[in-house]
Amino acid sequence: MTLLYFQYFQIFSLLLALVCRKGLNFFSIGILIPILLVDNASDIIGANYTRIFHSPDNYFVFNVYYLVSTPLYLYLFAIMLKGDHRERRRIFVTGVVIELLIAANYLFIQGHLAFDSFTSLLVNLTNFVFSCLILTRLAMRKEEDKHLLVDPYFWINAMILLFSLVSMIALGLQKYIAVNHIQLVGKNLYFALMQAANAALYTGYSGAIVLCQTQRSK
Amino acid sequence: MPDAKEQITTTIFAVIFVLLFFGVLFIVMLTYIHYRRRQNAREKKEMQDQFDQHLMQSRLEIQEQTFRYLSEEIHDHVGQLLSLAKIQLSSFKETEPVDFPMLKDAGANVARALQDLRSLAKGLHAGHIRHFSIREAVDEEVARIRKAGGLVVSVTSEGTEKKIKEEKQLILFRIIQECLQNCLKHSAATNINIGFTWYAEQLRVRVRDDGTGFDTENNPALRNGLGLENIRNRASLSGGSSIIHSRPGEGTTVTVQIPYE
Repeated sequence: MTLLYFQYFQIFSLLLALVCRKGLNFFSIGILIPILLVDNASDIIGANYTRIFHSPDNYFVFNVYYLVSTPLYLYLFAIMLKGDHRERRRIFVTGVVIELLIAANYLFIQGHLAFDSFTSLLVNLTNFVFSCLILTRLAMRKEEDKHLLVDPYFWINAMILLFSLVSMIALGLQKYIAVNHIQLVGKNLYFALMQAANAALYTGYSGAIVLCQTQRSK
Repeated sequence: MPDAKEQITTTIFAVIFVLLFFGVLFIVMLTYIHYRRRQNAREKKEMQDQFDQHLMQSRLEIQEQTFRYLSEEIHDHVGQLLSLAKIQLSSFKETEPVDFPMLKDAGANVARALQDLRSLAKGLHAGHIRHFSIREAVDEEVARIRKAGGLVVSVTSEGTEKKIKEEKQLILFRIIQECLQNCLKHSAATNINIGFTWYAEQLRVRVRDDGTGFDTENNPALRNGLGLENIRNRASLSGGSSIIHSRPGEGTTVTVQIPYE
């Protein structure tokens, strides 16, 4: 089984989330465990897909990943936004529309054999918008006693924001990079960028999980 | 085409770098905004605590002053009258015939003491004041002073009378009471004028006497002794302001301005 270096960060954050599940539940973000499970599963399968299934690429895995993970992420955002019933309903409607677009792209537009770069752009753009919204709301909230840097929501959203910025470029240009063999120090540019971005994202998640647990213990 | 690829790689990196820069800048900005908001909230809380402490101190001072006033009133008036009545009554002996004029006099003294107590209670009871407008409450207070005699007290009013918030009315009434007490006890005044001016947003009350006056600038101890600090505190507590003007031989004028709401 092949494991890329960022996957160690990913597995570590999943194990940490399982150990600190009470801390996550304390902050109502227990949904992070299924998210990390889906992330881990898709990346492990994706890294070994071509070898096991003798397939020329692993696009199918990541196209399905977007279909499965997007509602989970939207649910996480809805919780972190701490909005009222109306706002949650709006997020639900947004989620349904996005999911329909992803499904339409998967089935009819780019298809399941090619990498769905439109889906990737849409999902990362959605993540970017929601993480910006949550961060702004966190900064403007009324409970002034808590510092922003010790808030687990802050680290999760800050990392999602930065990750989605890198992803929008790297995943959007994925096909172009692959076709033109654009490389960075002997490695495919897409892999080089995405692995570093993933490592940073899961490090941020791990930090947030630890914060959840330590603040629950207080 | 190695140059073209290099160019594309550099461009992609530049775009990512710029985006990440703005992303990090956004996060740092939000963190800074949050930090400033927390700091402002902390400062506001400190100010509020300070104000509460000040308020508490003022309340204690006012309470202390009220107790002193009560003690003086009971000792100087009610106590004297009751002592006199007691002396008069103790002079009666079972063996001697009853001196009816003295008995009547003792009864009158007890009645005056009772009247003084009632009047004192009426002046202090906030519930009583709340039933009237500020003008009516002041008129009643003035009637009480007039009854005691020795002073000419006039009340004037300009403009249309407006309703003042209940708590503010009570504070204003206590300020006027304080001014009148000062006139009675310290100023040796013969004339007092209480002037109400009803403006659109606020009420101005001016209590003026023709007494001895005092030097407010050079005698802060006297200023505190006369409860002038309390007048200022009370006025600012109700969102208003006060000006105390006095000079030796020229009488004293206390002007208080309080918003209606």
